Amino acid sequence: MKRRQFIKKSSLATAGSISMPYILPSGLLNMTTTPPMAEHVVFVLFAGGVRQQEAVLQRYLAEGQNEDVEGNIMYNMLTGAPPDDKIAYGQDDTANNIIGGIPINPILQTPLDQIGTLFPEVRFSKGGAGHFSGLSTGVSGNYSTIQGLRNRPVAPTIFEYLRRHAGFKATDCWFVGVGITGSRPLLNYSSTADYGRRYGGNFIAPTTTFGSPGMEHFMDFKNYHQETEWSKILEMREFLNQNFKNEGLEIAHLYNSVDEQDSIKEFVRKTFEKVEMGSISLPPVNDNGDLKTIGFAVELLNWFKPKLMVVDMTNIDVCHGNYTAYLKNLHRGDHGVGFLWREIQRIPEMAGKTTMIVMPEHGRDLEPNPIMDDNDWFAYDHSGNNVNTRRIFTLMTGPNIDQGLRVGDPANPIGDASDIVPTIADLFGIKDTVMSQGLVDPTARSLFDRI
Amino acid sequence: MNMPTSVRILFVAFLLLSLALMLSCTKETDYYVYEVQDVEITPVNSFKDKPKTHSQYISILYANMFQTAIGPNQMLQALKAIESIGDKQVAYDILVSKYMNDPNVKLPSDESMREDPESFVRDTYKRFLVRQPTEAELQWMINYIESRPTLTTELVYFSFATSNEHAHY
Repeated sequence: MKRRQFIKKSSLATAGSISMPYILPSGLLNMTTTPPMAEHVVFVLFAGGVRQQEAVLQRYLAEGQNEDVEGNIMYNMLTGAPPDDKIAYGQDDTANNIIGGIPINPILQTPLDQIGTLFPEVRFSKGGAGHFSGLSTGVSGNYSTIQGLRNRPVAPTIFEYLRRHAGFKATDCWFVGVGITGSRPLLNYSSTADYGRRYGGNFIAPTTTFGSPGMEHFMDFKNYHQETEWSKILEMREFLNQNFKNEGLEIAHLYNSVDEQDSIKEFVRKTFEKVEMGSISLPPVNDNGDLKTIGFAVELLNWFKPKLMVVDMTNIDVCHGNYTAYLKNLHRGDHGVGFLWREIQRIPEMAGKTTMIVMPEHGRDLEPNPIMDDNDWFAYDHSGNNVNTRRIFTLMTGPNIDQGLRVGDPANPIGDASDIVPTIADLFGIKDTVMSQGLVDPTARSLFDRI
Repeated sequence: MNMPTSVRILFVAFLLLSLALMLSCTKETDYYVYEVQDVEITPVNSFKDKPKTHSQYISILYANMFQTAIGPNQMLQALKAIESIGDKQVAYDILVSKYMNDPNVKLPSDESMREDPESFVRDTYKRFLVRQPTEAELQWMINYIESRPTLTTELVYFSFATSNEHAHY
């Protein structure tokens, strides 16, 4: 197994550094217990509720709409031939008036499942099958069965584990939200005692920050001279804050250092300039919010080179009322993931050192609801009591990940939605520490341990 | 010892009188215990223990900066912008920086600050923190203004607008 080989090879070189725990700048003990397997991790919470039938099972219309057409519409991620009939998932063919009639060209020459490991049958095993529940489980490794919207995760997020136990900086950890709805801004840290905001990751919802709200209230914000102006503001603010020492009462900052705060502001400024110039690194097709978010995420990767970036997508949730739009957005989600992987390989500091994990936050129902779209195709919801909604997949690619490996199948599901936190912890060498806290789901395991 | 009877009587009478005087004139002793009553000394701003919501912060900030109320659509957009950035100190800094670039922002002149720094400091505390400065705060701010010739009212306003106390009530 590659992981074992890697550990064996690198253990001598890193033995000194890992066998002697050291004090982090935060004053805590660095709890890295195994050599890191990756320098960067990008975790994509994919798309907003995906049916296995149109994803890894590649059944296209065959199971969803009783049409005898199968095929793979996610060919950047999965190996398989695309459908050859009733093409409705691509770009609109305006010349021939065919909605979605032109498939988007693949971005990657080799699908990700061939250069990585696919867990085609994973379970979202507990809790409500809502988006926030799924996203929260993805970042905390714990099913949020006792919380609802407008509450932070009740268990620590992977950002908090990494900042507290591996000494990551705030700008090493990012949640890039597809928007600010659905309590997404609450997913960067939990309400857990001993963790929380002190160890939170940064959050940004770029289509809002750089969309009309940000253009109205952020764009062209004044740039103060560091030495002659900003330093004075900081001095006076420090004095004022010293005189306001009520316990825990402060503006909810994320313990970014002054340099990190400046870097975030500069990133915002430069990104606005790129928006104005139309030079954001957007995917070739970028006609929905998911793809624009992916483009901004690439800008963020280029700027910060974060150790962990989580990005979520949501547009396929249109499946509640429009199956054709669902297919189009699923196809675009794959396009976005392919683009993201390609762009990662173009960032010198991240190329060959980055592991990408892709997992839907939950699945979708087997049975349709009564809503039909213009193609007379039925729509699908996601219900907690529907077995199909609890079926998802996980794709992992990067250094030290087995290539072309499939683990599990419909008759033998392997993997759980809560596994991602232990897996990322494993990638960064703090799995044992994270697991010993006892705050992830009892069944959660590193995917490396499930292989 | 032989003593005349009259003398004896006088002696006994004297004893009795003395005893009576001693018993009847005993001064009542009052004990006074002087103590210091425990008084909890708290900062003048200690009553501010509730964070403003983003909406409250934005509306108060806007009123302080522009001397007018923010419109509902502007408020909604500002709220979305603030929520889109996780580190609220960064988000507030950017928002205030943006407002400082607006030609409609209402700032006292630097000259007025230089002419009467005490009034400026008192007004600024009242405007942003809704209280008078303590003597220590007042002196620190006056010294800061007087010792930095390039300091502007804008920088002072910025630091007050983005301070922790301004975000609480």
